[in-house]
Amino acid sequence: MVATSNSGKQLAKMKIGSKGHVSHFTDCCMACKLLSMGILPGTQIEMIRSAPFGGGCYIKADNLLIALRKSEACSIVVR
Amino acid sequence: MKPALSPDPEPKIALIGNPNSGKTSIFNQLTGLQQKVGNFPGVTVDKKTGTLELSNGHHAKLIDLPGAYSFYPTSKDEKMVVQSLVQPGNENYPDAIIYIADVTKLEKHLLLFSQLKDLGIPVLLALNMADVAEQEGIQYDLEKLSRKLEAPTLLLSGRTGEGMGKLKSMLVDLLAEAPIAPLNSTKYRLAPEESKVISQIQAEFPGYTPYQLVLMAHHVKWLPFLNPNQKALIEQAISNSGFQDLQMQVEETMQRYDQFTPIVQQAREKDSLHEINFTDRLDDLLTNRFFGPVVFFSIMLLIFHALFTWAELPMNFIETGFGNLSTFLQNHLPQHWLTNLLTEGVLAGLSGIIVFVPQIAILFFLISLLEEVGYMARAAFMFDRIMQFFGLNGRSVVALISGGACAIPAIMSTRTISNWKERLITILVTPFISCSARIPVYTVLIGFVVPPTKIGFVSLQALAFMGLYLLGIVAALLAAFVFKLILRTHESSYLMLELPAYRLPVMRNVWLTVWEKVKTFTVEAGRIILIITVVLWVLSSFGPPGAVKNAEMAAQRSAKAKNLNADDTQDLVDAKMMEASFAGQLGKFIEPAIRPLGFDWKIGIALITSFAAREVFVATMATIYSIGHQDDEYSIHEKMANQRDPVTHQLIYSPATSLSLLLFYVFAMQCMSTMAVVYRETKSWKWPLIQFAFMTGLAYLSSWLAYMWLS
Repeated sequence: MVATSNSGKQLAKMKIGSKGHVSHFTDCCMACKLLSMGILPGTQIEMIRSAPFGGGCYIKADNLLIALRKSEACSIVVR
Repeated sequence: MKPALSPDPEPKIALIGNPNSGKTSIFNQLTGLQQKVGNFPGVTVDKKTGTLELSNGHHAKLIDLPGAYSFYPTSKDEKMVVQSLVQPGNENYPDAIIYIADVTKLEKHLLLFSQLKDLGIPVLLALNMADVAEQEGIQYDLEKLSRKLEAPTLLLSGRTGEGMGKLKSMLVDLLAEAPIAPLNSTKYRLAPEESKVISQIQAEFPGYTPYQLVLMAHHVKWLPFLNPNQKALIEQAISNSGFQDLQMQVEETMQRYDQFTPIVQQAREKDSLHEINFTDRLDDLLTNRFFGPVVFFSIMLLIFHALFTWAELPMNFIETGFGNLSTFLQNHLPQHWLTNLLTEGVLAGLSGIIVFVPQIAILFFLISLLEEVGYMARAAFMFDRIMQFFGLNGRSVVALISGGACAIPAIMSTRTISNWKERLITILVTPFISCSARIPVYTVLIGFVVPPTKIGFVSLQALAFMGLYLLGIVAALLAAFVFKLILRTHESSYLMLELPAYRLPVMRNVWLTVWEKVKTFTVEAGRIILIITVVLWVLSSFGPPGAVKNAEMAAQRSAKAKNLNADDTQDLVDAKMMEASFAGQLGKFIEPAIRPLGFDWKIGIALITSFAAREVFVATMATIYSIGHQDDEYSIHEKMANQRDPVTHQLIYSPATSLSLLLFYVFAMQCMSTMAVVYRETKSWKWPLIQFAFMTGLAYLSSWLAYMWLS
């Protein structure tokens, strides 16, 4: 579940408006926090927009709206 | 520890739920004005408790625990929840739990619920936002949910009040339940390592459930109630069994989701009809790259505008009211020092407190409105990158904005920042943001620096006012940047912020916040202000034996020698008498230190008393100047404007002195309560003292430069 394999791409690289599903996480600490909030492997992710001053993004995880920093968005691998 | 004399007969019920589950609305619905805010022992996490009347007429104590996603805390707030529930003897350990979940996000909101079920405390599942669910067409089979999740379940709404009666009667049944046999299992399959840890430590902790023991192993580093022996024992068990904190956490969490997700899906009868909803469309604008920040700054501008214009009428009303009352009493009460104490001490002080109430109420009203509709989280999201540059966190925006009302709740709101360095910097720089206590000081002094002219429809004074706020913000950010370079940390920092759906504000919540803050201000701060004004009145009315009388005689002689008219004589006499009093001598004592800033000894007195709280400044001025003049229909502003040096006849509040004084109030740390809160939040006197030194140092330097430049 927490793996470093290269299948899928980082959430941070998703295009605005595109959708995908969480495959796995690359950082154990962040994975724990994301899991608590309800972002699990299989959760549908939609990239909504990036932050006005850069650095972060606004995503929709199933029906949950979440703001993530770039580093946080990089730790989620989407397929 | 205080020994418990008698066991508390009222059962304790805890209100628990994820952040944004609408817990506060439910709490307000259940308790109304019957609530009070205290602190959890040892920390300044707000602890809201209230009394709840159950349907059988009995009372219960309701504790509102901070919002948390799971028993794996990332912030101080969430740690409080773990701490209260892991230890069966804890003073907040509840007899029953109301778990609040947002019914529109049920699959995401049950993780903590499933963990609570492993504590052996009776739990009631309250599905909040029934009104929204109905609008969106979401529907659940409650009976099925209740059966499968093994908890009484009901639908309610903190907004409309729907379901509150039912909740109260269900609580009676929940409390009447025979005490559950001590739980000796968990809802999820324990890993072999977890079982090993449990078997090695359970003898030391009788009465704890297996899951509580597992949680102790996870949180052994920070749980405050463990003694060194217990810590050593748990750490030993961890290393013996090969217990891996993060791995065990992930496995447990995944198992729990796997259990309840299918239950939720099977019990769901109808899902949301709306594909694109209101929040999405609104956020297209409010978090837009360009319009987002524009809207943000417009909102801030609107707040300042409101502070100025809405408060003016009630403030004038309060000031003239107190002025009239004071004149009336002086005319109708016998000439006695007690009458003077009442009118010049107590009434002047009270007026100085009450006059802030409109502005404080407006500011808290607007800020809690923004919080309530869900806008604050957007601000945190938009400014996270910029805040990071200054060593802060997106969440710091919330603290900095609330700092505009009062630094104390603002500093307490930093608990949601999990990174210690970011949190500390936010705490250190928040008092630079001009709080509502500076408003009256600014209001009084700006008139001496900036003429009341208008450019178009914007008043120049309002612009200057905003300039002072901007100055505070710039100082806060620059100081933060300096601290970012100085302080070191290895802790990682997070944003990971849930953006709640926009909702119409529940006005009950807003009014309760305003009521609570105004009450705290008038009672807590007011008490200090009142005491100080009375002490000040005594100090400025009396002096060393004979000194005041001698000063009066000397002044009259010199007035006669100079051939002054009656008014000028009176002014000179008043000034000389004041100078000879205890307060005058105190002011004189510090005058050499503040002379370079353009301050005289009267301002010196105000500075000394303002170290208790800034708002004392105006009350101090009122006391000092009403002792000189008997004519109370003048407002304090007019009295100050007419103050002239009795010898040189120059205006005391010249633009140079007034600007210097304004800058001093922008930057200086003059609030004992803030320092006390910083001490409690950082658990050390080091930080409040550092804060005091750099803020007051900056204040002195900038005042000195401004005075040099203008005079």
